Amino acid sequence: MAIFNLKKREIECKVVYYGPGRCGKTTNLEYVFKSYKKQVTGEMVSINTEGDRTLFFDFLPIGLGKIKGCDIRVQLYTVPGQVKYSSTRKLVLRGVDGIVFVADSLEVRREKNMISLKDLQSNLKEYGKSIFKVPLIMQYNKRDLADEGIPLMSIEQMERDLNRQLKVPSFPGSAMKGTGVGVTLKACLMETLKSLQREFKWAK
Amino acid sequence: MDISLQIKSLLNEAELYRAQGLFPEAKDKYHAASAMIHKIDKLKNKDSLLKAISGKIQSLEKKTEKVETGPTSPELSEKGQNLIKSLFGENDLQKAVALAKFGQFERAITELEALLKDDVYRVDAGKNIIRCKMAIASVDDAIDQYHQWLSGDLFTGHQLESIRAYLQPIIDRKGIDKSLPVPVGERDEINAADSGGIEFSMPEPEEEILDITSIGITFTSGTFKGKMVEFDVNFQSGGMLSLIISKNDKTLIDELKNGDSLDDIQFYSPIAMFKGTAVVANKTQINSGPKQGDFCLDLKIKST
Ligand SMILES: Nc1nc2c(ncn2[C@@H]2O[C@H](COP(=O)(O)OP(=O)(O)O)[C@@H](O)[C@H]2O)c(=O)[nH]1
Ligand SMILES: [Mg+2]
Repeated sequence: MAIFNLKKREIECKVVYYGPGRCGKTTNLEYVFKSYKKQVTGEMVSINTEGDRTLFFDFLPIGLGKIKGCDIRVQLYTVPGQVKYSSTRKLVLRGVDGIVFVADSLEVRREKNMISLKDLQSNLKEYGKSIFKVPLIMQYNKRDLADEGIPLMSIEQMERDLNRQLKVPSFPGSAMKGTGVGVTLKACLMETLKSLQREFKWAK
Repeated sequence: MDISLQIKSLLNEAELYRAQGLFPEAKDKYHAASAMIHKIDKLKNKDSLLKAISGKIQSLEKKTEKVETGPTSPELSEKGQNLIKSLFGENDLQKAVALAKFGQFERAITELEALLKDDVYRVDAGKNIIRCKMAIASVDDAIDQYHQWLSGDLFTGHQLESIRAYLQPIIDRKGIDKSLPVPVGERDEINAADSGGIEFSMPEPEEEILDITSIGITFTSGTFKGKMVEFDVNFQSGGMLSLIISKNDKTLIDELKNGDSLDDIQFYSPIAMFKGTAVVANKTQINSGPKQGDFCLDLKIKST
């Protein structure tokens, strides 16, 4: 849940990167940390386990400066992908204001994408939120692998699989190379701030 | 495609999936490549190739096992624990509970024990200590802890009774045949009741009320009969829920009057969904600030 301090005109909101294991959530955050030095306001913290898998979450605080007279701070999180960490995913999702769903373009991960999106929907529902209403952006990651002859799904197919009903903004990307990372985050922050504006009318 | 190219591309895929930590996918591709190699008769280095692949498959199996059997919540560094506290808790109790939720039980217990000194947090801290003990040790440890508190003087009888009322059903549910002794002050009251004649009111047992994040009210009468509407819960204090309802929903709000009982409510909490009933305790229109014109509706949960 966004924290408002209307006297000081400060807003702190929470954006979560969601998606199946190994789809590139942590890599997205690492790229943001490396490339947006001016916006990054603190350390990126990753709590990892065996083989660099995110165990609990990654965390990175950023600041957007003043927008419409309000100082906007954003906490970026990722969730762990493995099935056994479902309770952590739920904890991290608590009070979320905006979501980036990172889908893996690898053909072999097709089903995992769909299962993860379903998991997101049901976790949101437990917090009384609808996946159709929450600010949500899709990223189709690992597009760079097409050049290496690895079978990827087409964007059209991914749209059909994941975004036919949701119809949210979506972007192809390569978190490893950094393409699409910035536009995805920016789109998500825009949707998030718009939704907070509808709800709380913070901008004058 | 030329068969050797096909094999090459399978191995290429397998290698990439391995590098990305997608072990089952990598294994599938190695197996497919291996099956294809078997079928070729005149291949110079066939045996060494097959051996190399089966070595890769074995090492993948080892890695998979490591990932799967790794601890689900290893002890974190102090820095990691501090981050969890600051991100997932607002007051000291929530911070300590957040540690427990992330499996950092030892540190959680230390912090909860410190909170026992605080009258405001004592009962909740006690219940959560019990919870942690059950998670890392056993129900017996939790029972021992209760007995220890019972023989000390940190808790009032009433506070301890609240902990007993929390722990006893857990013991019962586990099929353990043990009943916790009722704290002295509380027992006296019960005995007094047994002896008859004296009128007194039992203290209401403090029930565990879950965090409720939103509710769905199904109207059982009036204009909206049969319709379900969902509201976020903006504030909760025990069994009292406060909802801010937009002035745009005025027709809805008009249906709800002080004292009305709502007999079909769906409660959504982070860990469960359940049905129950509530009473409209208070309804006020907000007349200043950013929510001016909206309504604040307080509901008292009656049963869940
Ligand atoms: N080629 C390629 N690899 C990627 C990309 N994004 C992530 N990866 C790799 O995929 C693996 C898993 O990435 P990670 O960010 O840890 O995934 P997470 O589980 O979603 O946090 C790592 O080996 C990354 O290097 C990408 O855009 N292209
Ligand atoms: Mg990760």
